[in-house]
This record gives sequence, C-alpha cells and structure tokens, in this order.
Amino acid sequence: MIRILNFAFVAITSLVCLGVYRTAEGARVDQGELRSTRAAIAREQNALTVLGAEWARVTQPARIQVLTERHLDLSDKPAVALSSLTQLPPKNQPLVPEGEIRAAKAVVPQNGTAVRPTPAVSPQPGVATSDKGFAVLHTGT
Amino acid sequence: MAKAPVAPSLVRNRIAFAAIFCAACFAGITARLIDVMVISGAGEASHTAAASHPMRADFVDRNGKLIARDLPVSDLYLIPADFRATQWDTNEAARELAAITGVDEARLKQAFGAKRGHIPVQRGLSPDRREAVMHLGLPGLEFQDGYKRFYPEGRMIAHAVGQVDTDDHGVSGLELGLEKQVRGSETAAPIQLSLDTRIQYVLEHEMDEAMHDFRAKAAGGIVLNVRTGEVLALASLPDYEPNLRTLSTGDSIRNRLTQDVYELGSIFKIFAFSLAIEEKTVRLDEPINIGNGLRLGNHQIHDFERLGPTLSAAMVFAQSSNIGTAQIEMRSGPSKQKPFLRKLGLLEPLKTELPEVAAPLYPRHWEEVEAATIAYGHGISVNPLGFVAAAASIVNGGTMIRPTFLKNETVQHGERVISEETSRTMRDLMRLVVTDGTGTKADVPGYDVGGKTGTAEKAENGSYAHHLLISSFCGIFPIHDPQYLVFMMLDEPHGNRESGGFSTGGAVAAPAVGHVIAKIAPLLGVHRTDTFAAATP
Repeated sequence: MIRILNFAFVAITSLVCLGVYRTAEGARVDQGELRSTRAAIAREQNALTVLGAEWARVTQPARIQVLTERHLDLSDKPAVALSSLTQLPPKNQPLVPEGEIRAAKAVVPQNGTAVRPTPAVSPQPGVATSDKGFAVLHTGT
Repeated sequence: MAKAPVAPSLVRNRIAFAAIFCAACFAGITARLIDVMVISGAGEASHTAAASHPMRADFVDRNGKLIARDLPVSDLYLIPADFRATQWDTNEAARELAAITGVDEARLKQAFGAKRGHIPVQRGLSPDRREAVMHLGLPGLEFQDGYKRFYPEGRMIAHAVGQVDTDDHGVSGLELGLEKQVRGSETAAPIQLSLDTRIQYVLEHEMDEAMHDFRAKAAGGIVLNVRTGEVLALASLPDYEPNLRTLSTGDSIRNRLTQDVYELGSIFKIFAFSLAIEEKTVRLDEPINIGNGLRLGNHQIHDFERLGPTLSAAMVFAQSSNIGTAQIEMRSGPSKQKPFLRKLGLLEPLKTELPEVAAPLYPRHWEEVEAATIAYGHGISVNPLGFVAAAASIVNGGTMIRPTFLKNETVQHGERVISEETSRTMRDLMRLVVTDGTGTKADVPGYDVGGKTGTAEKAENGSYAHHLLISSFCGIFPIHDPQYLVFMMLDEPHGNRESGGFSTGGAVAAPAVGHVIAKIAPLLGVHRTDTFAAATP
C-alpha cells in the first residue's frame, strides 16, 4: 500500500513538474509575444502622436487661407443674416394666418401649355377661378 | 533470517515527510507563480508604461485643436570604434546615413574615421527616420530616445503658450504658468485652453496688416469673453517661432500685452466716466466748458484738436476731450479715483495663468494734477491685459472678472465695481463713440460695436514725444448685450493716405478692430441685429 502511495506521489510530482515546465515555457513564449506586442503598440501610439501633430500642422488656419485663395474662387464677404430670431412668431402661433392657408392654391399647366401668371386668388375658399388651359387646385377644406 | 517488519510509526513518519516535502514544493511553485505573474509582472508593466509616457500633457484649444504636444524623438550618436571593428565601407555608410538624416556627408565621413568618442550625429530624429536609420543596419550607431515639445501652429499663439527648455521644463508663457498641471497628470489628459485658433488667426492677420499698412514698430491684440473672462486670442507682434531654439532677425519673445506697461491714453477715460457716473458727479447732457485748454498748476491740458467752446458730457467722452474729462474727474478727486482704480485691479499686477506680468506704474504722490492726467490715461502705466480685464468689468454689468487662459464657460460673478445702471450708461456712451465720435471706423453693421479710442504719446528723454504714439482701440460687441471685447494697439504707427495722415487710435486701430469683429462674430455665433433686407443697400 505504501509502495503504491509512494509511486503515486512520485508520478503526481513528475506530472506536476512537467506541467510547471510547460507553463513556464508557455509563459516565456507569451512574454516574448507580449513584449513584441507592447513594442508594436508603442510604435503605433508614437505614429498616432506624430500623425495628430502633423494633422494639426497641415490644418493651420494660415495654411488653409493660402490654399483657399489659391484653389477656390471664394470672396471675402461679410456674413449676412437672412432673418433674425426676433422675426420668429411666438410659440404655438401659426406661421401663416389660417385664412391664407385655406385660400392657398397651386396652378399647374394642362396639355403641355406654357406656364402663365397665376390668376388672382379666389376670395371664396373652394370656388375655382376659371382660366382657359389651367386647372386650379385648391388646398384645404 | 526473516527481515524485521518496519514499524508502523516509521511508515507514518515517512509518509508525513513525503507529504510535507510535496507541500513545500507546491508552496514554492505557488509562491514563484505569484511572484512572476503578480508582483514582477505588474512591476514590469508599470515600468514599461512609465517609460513610454510623455513628460508633458498636450495643450488643445477650446475646440480640441492641438496646440502643443510632446513628440517622440531620438538623438543619434556614432561610436567610431565600434564601426571600425566591422568591415563596412566608410564612404557608403556616410552616403546612406546622410541621405536619411540630411547631415553633411563629408562631416559623417570624418566622424566615421574618428579614433574614439561618442559623436552626436543628429538630435530630434522623428520615429520614421529612426526606423529608416535602423534599417540601414550600420554598426556603431546608438539612439537615445526622448520627447521634444512641438507647436503645430508655429508662430501663432507663441507668446501665450510659451516654450520649454531642452529638458522639457516650461520656461515661459502657459508652459511655465501651468507647469504643475502639465506634468502632474499620469494619464497625460490634454489641457484645454480658452484660446481659439480661428480667432487667433483672424486677430494676428488683421494686426499684421495694420502693422504693415501703418509701418508700426509693434502691435498687440486681445479677444476676451467679457462674461466668463476667457481669453480667446492674445497676440503680440513681432513674434517668434517656438519650434526653433534661435530667433530670426526681427523676432521678439517679449509679450507686449503682459510683460510691458504703457500709458494707454484716452482709452482710460472709460474709468473716469464710470467713476463720475457712479458717483453722480456728472449728467450726460451737462455742458462742459472746453475753451482753449485747462491750466492746472504748471501744467496745461490740451485736446488733440479744437473741439469748440462747450461740449455735452456725453460728447466729451465721444469726442475724447482731455480738457472735459479732466474737469469731470476733478469733481471726484484723487481720494475716490485711486481706490476705484485699485478696485478695478489696475494698481496691482494681474493674476492669470501667464507668469510674466508686469506691475503697473503710478505716481507715489497722487494729487489733483495726477488725478486729472490719469483721467485721460497719462501718468499711469498698465499692461494691456490688465486694462482689458478692467474694461470688461465695466461693460459686463459691473462685476469684476479675472482673465483666464483655461476653458471655463461659467459666467464669473466677481466683486461688484459699478452698478448695473452705470454699466448700461457706459455701454451707451461707448456706442456713441462709434456712431458719433472718434471710433466710427470700428463700426460693423449688424453687430452694434461700442468702444473707445486711445492715443498716447510716448515718453522720450523725460518728456512726451508728439510723433511717437501708442494708438489703440477697445471694441465691445454687441454693445447692448456685451459678449466679447476686442482690443488692439499699435506701437508708433505712421499715418497713410487711407487714414488721412492720422495715426491716432481712431484712424489706425479702430478700423482693424472693426475688421476683426466682422470676421469673428459669425464664428462666435453672435446674432446680427439687422436682417438681410436691412443689411443690403
């Protein structure tokens, strides 16, 4: 019994030694790979750092100004506001009065005839203004 | 004879010994594993991280654009003894190395042929050039890796950002002022400045043109948010190239906006009128006698041009009358003027992140005459950034602000220096300067510019020289809801045909400030007060 136990101990110890050796070898190989990966990461980080600085250099406003003047036909005109916030209607107020929306219409040419000036707006919603060659489309109810 | 049986106690001892031995082995292996995987491994990792960490954090502008960065560079050295131990051809090696590094080939040949030593070949090699040199496979070459501070914007913002020395320590500007923050961070998180490279470019461009047009010796300009105190642009010309260690002809590392103090002239009337309105010693419609001048003891106070027998107090400010302003100031007197200017921070060195700030100069004996001359900006010298902070505090509703170079969009609520009402009146007066006064050339339709002109004579050989001027303009827009202040000064400008031969602040600095406002207002998202219909003729 003791002999069996001794053999078992020796076998287990040998296996453990083998396992430890394999682990150590694996760790050594992994360490090498890790080292090269870290070096590659550091290289890439350095490259990113340099590229970031290079990008900042090539996007200097002074350089962009020179390139713009050379290659684009832009003029140095002051900005113009097409409208202002003060002209916006108050919240929940319709942009166009209700009556105008009801009376709105669009005119399309029929039979390929040329577009002619829009006839006067019918004062009564829903009443078509007759004009030869045109169909008057009313919007709204 | 039969072998004696082994005693059971001995067997147990052997088993126990084997068990203890195995346990000790396992414990040893476990300890070693912990050492390798946790203790040493972690140490190695942190060592690697520390080695690859730049020494200084990046500077970025308020929009995240890079302003300064530590770039990985290598210094290349040659050890001729190691090279000669191999059989490489010296001529070929010198030619190949010269092609990559740009170093003179003859010098390299001489270095390869040297008997001994450790010869520096080139400093600050970029990573790609280092790789290219490595690929040559030349023996006897050695690299020393490090970092070099790089400023992608070059000359632009050079004075505000400053520089580092060869050991990467800040020596001027924000590099010095923010040294602790720049080096303190392990993660090297970028430091976001209040500066805006777009605004900086516009300011420098217009300053450069004004300097050229009026043949000025130097120029300075600031754009400041009057509510948050953030400095969006600060430029001083002539400037310098911070990526080089040497100065070219005409370059200057002197930041005229903080390191120098000037008598700023009539632009100082902002404070004289603020005090008078706050103290209610003047009504704006009150007629002030101008006459031919004002005599104070041995001093005679004149105006730049004859402005008539009387002017209303408002027009004294708009037309920039020294005589009228001196009379208004004398109603308050030095006992009120000095504490008021002290409250505005004009008698102490300004505290900002910029370390190079000159202390103001003012008279030790501050009597009636001094009070009168200080009212129109003579007899007191301040640095322009200090003036700008005080002027912004007058127009922003009356609370003191401290200029900052770090992005911080919270509105500052400093000590109250004047009432809200006085601040509003001052804004109206500053608008009057641009509509009906000396600063009409600064007007930009749609942006309601207000401001004040300043023309100071420089002191030369103990007296004021009429031909040597510091001409300036301080513009605020939109004046009725002030957001930004644009200040510009020109040192010794000369009038030209465009300015009618004048070199005053209103003739040379005001139009340049107007150009700056017209260009930066849309970039800053300031709404126009007029619309397309009103803006087009």
